[in-house]
Amino acid sequence: MNLENFLIMRHELVLTIVTLILLIAELSISDKSKHKIIPIAIGLFTINLIIGFLPTISGSLFGGMYQTTALQVTMKNILNLGVLVVLFQSVKWLKEEENKIKISEFFLILFSTLIGMQFMISSGSFLMLYLGLELATIPMAALVAYDRLRTKSAEAGVKLILSAALSSAVLLFGISLIYGTTGSTYFNIVGSVFTSNSLQTLAFIFFFSGMAFKISLVPFHLWTADVYEGAPINVTSYLSVISKGASAFILLIVLFTVFKNIVEIWQNLLYVIAVSTMTIGNLFAIRQQNMKRFLAFSSIAQAGFILLGLMGANITGMTSVVYFVFVYIFSNLGAFGVVSVIYYQTSKENMDDYNGLYHTNPKLSLIMMLSLFSLAGIPPVAGFFGKFFLFTAAAASGYYWLVFIAVLNATISLYYYLLVVKAMFINKNDTPIAYFKTDTPAKISLIICVIGVFIVGFMSIFYQYFQSIGFGI
Amino acid sequence: MFSTILFYILSVILVFSSLMVIFSRKPINSVLFLIVSFFAISGHYILLNAQFLAVVNIIVYAGAIMVLFLFTVMLLNLNKETEPKKSALVKIIAVITGCLLAVTLVGSLKGIDNAPVQDFSDNSIGLIKNLGKTLFTDFLVPFELTSVLFLASIVGTLMIGKKE
Amino acid sequence: MMISLLVAMYSTYFERKFAAWFQDRLGPNRAGPFGLMQPLADGLKLLFKEEFMPNTANRFLFIMGPMLAMFVALLTSAVIPWGSFIVIEGKEYSLQVADVNIGILYIVAVTSVGVYGIMLGGWASNNKYSLLGAIRAASQMISYELAMGLAILAIVMMSGSLSLSDMVAQQKGINWNIWYQPVGFLIFIICALAECNRAPFDLPECETELVGGFHTEYSSMKLGFFLFSEYINMFISSAIISALYFGGFHFPFEDSLGLSQNWLAIVGALVFFIKISFFGFVFMWIRWTLPRFRYDQLMRLGWTWLIPLAIFNILITAVVLMLHN
Repeated sequence: MNLENFLIMRHELVLTIVTLILLIAELSISDKSKHKIIPIAIGLFTINLIIGFLPTISGSLFGGMYQTTALQVTMKNILNLGVLVVLFQSVKWLKEEENKIKISEFFLILFSTLIGMQFMISSGSFLMLYLGLELATIPMAALVAYDRLRTKSAEAGVKLILSAALSSAVLLFGISLIYGTTGSTYFNIVGSVFTSNSLQTLAFIFFFSGMAFKISLVPFHLWTADVYEGAPINVTSYLSVISKGASAFILLIVLFTVFKNIVEIWQNLLYVIAVSTMTIGNLFAIRQQNMKRFLAFSSIAQAGFILLGLMGANITGMTSVVYFVFVYIFSNLGAFGVVSVIYYQTSKENMDDYNGLYHTNPKLSLIMMLSLFSLAGIPPVAGFFGKFFLFTAAAASGYYWLVFIAVLNATISLYYYLLVVKAMFINKNDTPIAYFKTDTPAKISLIICVIGVFIVGFMSIFYQYFQSIGFGI
Repeated sequence: MFSTILFYILSVILVFSSLMVIFSRKPINSVLFLIVSFFAISGHYILLNAQFLAVVNIIVYAGAIMVLFLFTVMLLNLNKETEPKKSALVKIIAVITGCLLAVTLVGSLKGIDNAPVQDFSDNSIGLIKNLGKTLFTDFLVPFELTSVLFLASIVGTLMIGKKE
Repeated sequence: MMISLLVAMYSTYFERKFAAWFQDRLGPNRAGPFGLMQPLADGLKLLFKEEFMPNTANRFLFIMGPMLAMFVALLTSAVIPWGSFIVIEGKEYSLQVADVNIGILYIVAVTSVGVYGIMLGGWASNNKYSLLGAIRAASQMISYELAMGLAILAIVMMSGSLSLSDMVAQQKGINWNIWYQPVGFLIFIICALAECNRAPFDLPECETELVGGFHTEYSSMKLGFFLFSEYINMFISSAIISALYFGGFHFPFEDSLGLSQNWLAIVGALVFFIKISFFGFVFMWIRWTLPRFRYDQLMRLGWTWLIPLAIFNILITAVVLMLHN
């Protein structure tokens, strides 16, 4: 393999090498000093992140099985950055006594799923897409069941693997119909011959349903809340941010390249799903008391907003989706970071426990407030621009009613995000969570999130860059 | 001619046993019918001149995976009584959705007319030599990716099964 | 097939004779000269014995079990090349029923299906000893199948073919695979013992722990089927060992004897049977000399010794082959 090929595939290759190094390191480190694997893993992953930012080369390898452009490279870098934040947040949790014997497994499995997502984003054929998706989902069940002695965690793992198996079956059925009717699994060939006849439309619907499971769009969202609640917090944040972001990216690419011939059909389909996803996600989020469930439903609603950008089906749409996911990673990881810091300090994760948090831990409360504002889309922070661009993209394609519904939903979401803020700042509590010092890695991760939430919003360079690499139909 | 008859016989067996997998009351019968359906699929592979796939299908699915299924069924001793009861409403909804799906599937078959037909005149593709060549040239990346998938799954399984 | 049955029948006889020999006894000697009619008498006895079926058993599966075990055991003989071809009136007749191009995989597949006979029989008896025996048998067979497959893989790499007749053809004369694959041979014979549930791996029917193992509840000819299939399996494994590692029907100096093709084929087939008998003898020898393993020892041997060893064997074979080309 020459250097150019290496540069094209560098994300996946480096990450695979990192995973293998960790596998060997795990064998050579004695049981007592297993925690040493944490700095090694994070260090190696940082190197991987930096290599990802090397100058981009577009190209396709292995006869079109694998393809990459500046767009895909950017998507992978965004995911890598998010994963680094997740890693920082999980350090304290991994150091706990009960996790001592399985620290390296966490990294191994997490990196494997990331490899799967990156291959998925770079796939040039449905075969690669499917394999990448499986690699990103099946080991994930093990991560979700990481606290296997806690019944809820084990149950969540089983739920995830069962729903993942079902959705894979649906997806695979769609792919087989696509292969059967077009005679190829390669994106460029399928894209050029795909028509809107009934069988191929059905194939697309099956394919889309399979993907919708992974992004947890309504009505395929039923697994989300239970799995998010049962999984360890850091796994939940990985699942709801990185995994969802990757699936949104690949859906974006596939819809814009392979299914460009039937754009009217999928726009109509997405219309219904976007409305139901936003509305149902929001309505359920209002009723949640558990912070993890709360964030789970809010992330369902956020996925509905992403669909708006997809429906734009133009370059603004693509840019806004990438931009939104970029912002969403920072804001949601900020919120999850605070939840996880508090949980591992005090084992509390209900909204009532947050009452009066501002008086004892002002910094954490402020970060939480910023993240929630960004999720809600309140002007000074990045989230506002994210939602704004999504709405612009949809409006540009003439979906005024949809944008109206979306704005309504954004208002509803503002209400329940503010509930948390109210709990922290206004509600009185006789026994608030006492003051504590946040551990350094988590601090770093929160600082990254805050910077992200501010900088990305104020610097137009990101949006312009995404626009320069994006494309429309 | 002979292979056409064989095709229909195998297909009938396949469809029948697959239906029985779902309709059997006892889990053990479901498992056994599933094994029968694997054999029917292997028969189809042989008709397509893909003996290697046929045999591997039997070794892996019938020989190894289904034995584990059988283990589970035998050890849990599942039977009719342990099956959870479903409410009538759920049953009706399930029937309606199933019928709708069937209608959609059948209805969409009319789209087949203008779909391109694949040429399978070169029927030596299933032979192990050709299969190996294709696997290690055109499908090298998926092949290697599968090995990463297996590695990750093994790590995950071991982690869940690990003693404290 | 008839041959397999006959051989299986008489291997019961020889088993007992050898056992007697090893234990310094006479063995069966009443029926016919040297007790040669003993297997027939045994068979008749089994046939005429009372049929007994536990009333809690699943009737269909209870009958299916032994039938399946027997059927599968007989299926394997189809792809074994018993000898080279015979020329009759200018036409060549191969002494192999079916020369499938994936012969060796076919055997692996069929043996892997053989587990079902035992499992179904054990489960359908509705008896905890039977179930335990069946589960032991199944997990043992699956575990050892892996190592066996890996051992075979080394041979496949050397011959570049999956067809048994090709493999045998390459071992002409004394160019036997045993000289190249001694480790593979050892792994294979251990696995073959385990696959046949023979001592020292006969945990599934270990009398001291499990009464009679998976066939506790069986009687009459159904029990006969189970026992028979075990002997047939033994016979087939000996045949495969001879074919894979000891040149099948080839024997040293076969070309310099100046025999015609037909005579060569017949002598070859005889030689093959001698080889098979030898390994049959080895199987019995092992059974009557070695004590039984404990179950955890058995699993540890399979997973932590044989499989890594087999993989190592494959690696070395690959390296040597690469350097050789």
